[in-house]
Amino acid sequence: MADLVSYVIRKILLAIPVILLATLIVFLMLYLTPGDPIVAIMPPHATQADLQELRAKYGFDQPFIVQYGKFLMRLLHGDMGQSVARSTLNVDVSTLLMQRLPKTLELMAIGLTISYSVGIPLGVFSALRQNSWKDRSVMVFTLIAYAMPSFWLGILLMLLFSVYLGWLQAEGTVGGFSSIILPALTLGLGNAALTTRMMRSSMLEVTRQDYITQLRSRGLPEREVILKHALKNAILPVITVIGLDIGWFVAGAVVVETVFSWSGVGMLITTSISNHDFPAVQGCILVLAIFVVLGNLIADIMYAFVDPRVRLG
Amino acid sequence: MRLRKGLNDRLLSWKMSGGFKQTVADILERSSRNSMVVIGMTLIIVIVALALLAPVLPIADPTPSELFLEDRTLPPSSDHWFGTDELGRDVFSRVIWGARVSLTVATLAVVFSLMIGVVLGLTAGYFGGVVDYIIAGTIDLFWTFPAFLLALAFAAALGPSLANVILAISISYWAGFARLMRGQALSVRERQYVEASRALGAKNIRIMFAHVLPNCLSPLIVWASVGVADAITIESSLSFLGVGTQPPTPSWGYMLFRGIPFLEEAPWIATFPGLVLLITILGFNLLGDGLRDVLDPRMKGMRR
Repeated sequence: MADLVSYVIRKILLAIPVILLATLIVFLMLYLTPGDPIVAIMPPHATQADLQELRAKYGFDQPFIVQYGKFLMRLLHGDMGQSVARSTLNVDVSTLLMQRLPKTLELMAIGLTISYSVGIPLGVFSALRQNSWKDRSVMVFTLIAYAMPSFWLGILLMLLFSVYLGWLQAEGTVGGFSSIILPALTLGLGNAALTTRMMRSSMLEVTRQDYITQLRSRGLPEREVILKHALKNAILPVITVIGLDIGWFVAGAVVVETVFSWSGVGMLITTSISNHDFPAVQGCILVLAIFVVLGNLIADIMYAFVDPRVRLG
Repeated sequence: MRLRKGLNDRLLSWKMSGGFKQTVADILERSSRNSMVVIGMTLIIVIVALALLAPVLPIADPTPSELFLEDRTLPPSSDHWFGTDELGRDVFSRVIWGARVSLTVATLAVVFSLMIGVVLGLTAGYFGGVVDYIIAGTIDLFWTFPAFLLALAFAAALGPSLANVILAISISYWAGFARLMRGQALSVRERQYVEASRALGAKNIRIMFAHVLPNCLSPLIVWASVGVADAITIESSLSFLGVGTQPPTPSWGYMLFRGIPFLEEAPWIATFPGLVLLITILGFNLLGDGLRDVLDPRMKGMRR
């Protein structure tokens, strides 16, 4: 157990530089943006002295490292600046994020549920019928689902269910379950393809092992061998990567939320970019990056918990 | 001297077995029997040929200076295979010209990532020690950071333009190549032929690029192929979100975005560009998966 604890602490320490990198990138965004913000907000007849005074007031005249340090200090106090978009002028970015975050989490949770409840059974099904036409069709499905760009999938689903069949709402977050199902499905399908492939190869590996043969030779019904004994071991590597899936979902959420006008953090990024609301873009990217880092951390820890060999490495 | 003789013997036997030509012929032969490579390659060749021939093909102007609004949202017909968009432009022609943009951006982004990744990964893995510690740490940082978010942040900050999209994708994608290259270099540098060339007085830089690099080519080729598919996905996503390729330059992602309000009235605007996008991504993924099986059977199932 002690080795597990030290492993977890080591992993947490390793996550800190990545989060620092995220803050640095987000801070650099302002530096890279063309144009001087001070010149932009002052009237054209302002003198050099006026400009200089304002630069000093906002701290723009200080060296890079000092500015970055101040930025970090503000972040530590939970201050991500204020929005500069017309509709949300001077609202704290952290307030905006708090409003939007539950929506994104809801979408990701349902997307994850869909991808696992499709991927795991399909992978087992495919493995038990290895090299049959059924297995091959599942594999072709996963290839296409994996390559499918999420925004195009979203558009196709919208076309089918909202335009032609008229069953579900295409846009917005008002309609409860019927409005979340399409975005969640769009978000979940690509990951379902990955889960299917992993589950299939893991199941194939487990069913070749001696203890399975031994159980079969003792006359245990095939159903029980698979469901009670093989599945338990085969599913482990698949669910330990649940944390890594968060990375996939974060990138997907930005696009999927935009397609369906789902008012989460992803949608906030897109609208903020078009409104040139940089504080909001910075906040969103930082929060999403922290999510991914936490996801990776969870994956590492779960993996070490399941497979003791990892802890020593 | 004995060492050199040993090397010469091996070289001789390799040459007798046909040398480089034979090795290439061998790989081509095995590839042609792999259905994934064949299907993937066919899809890619069709798309690339259409993209290259776009200026000479008898298709409409994708960005006409004069718009014929009475032609807008026409359904697919023999005149307009994929119909026309909301401004009366031919969707088929815009899809083909869009392929040029997507393929150029993706290829350049992968080439740049590959160059950064190979140089840094090779240096880290070959030299080891402090150099490795610093470079490997940087690689890990960028590897953990989600590529799409990084690209989005850079593209949003730099402002939308083709060059910035290529830069954004390269910055976010090089770590994969570097990681791969470092791992390979670490394992190859202990081999006897590397030791032999060092004993013969070869310079580090020569050993790295003439001996270590060629032995890492197979996984790099596989990754580059899959990388083009990823880069196309990132480029089209950025364009879809409005921070990638800018209008009037035809781009698949932006065409899809513009097609959403017209889904009911003219579904072809948003469906056809997506179909070609899917086919292209599928082609590169299939090629990568197939090549992995052909070049290095041990790597089977490594990609997640």
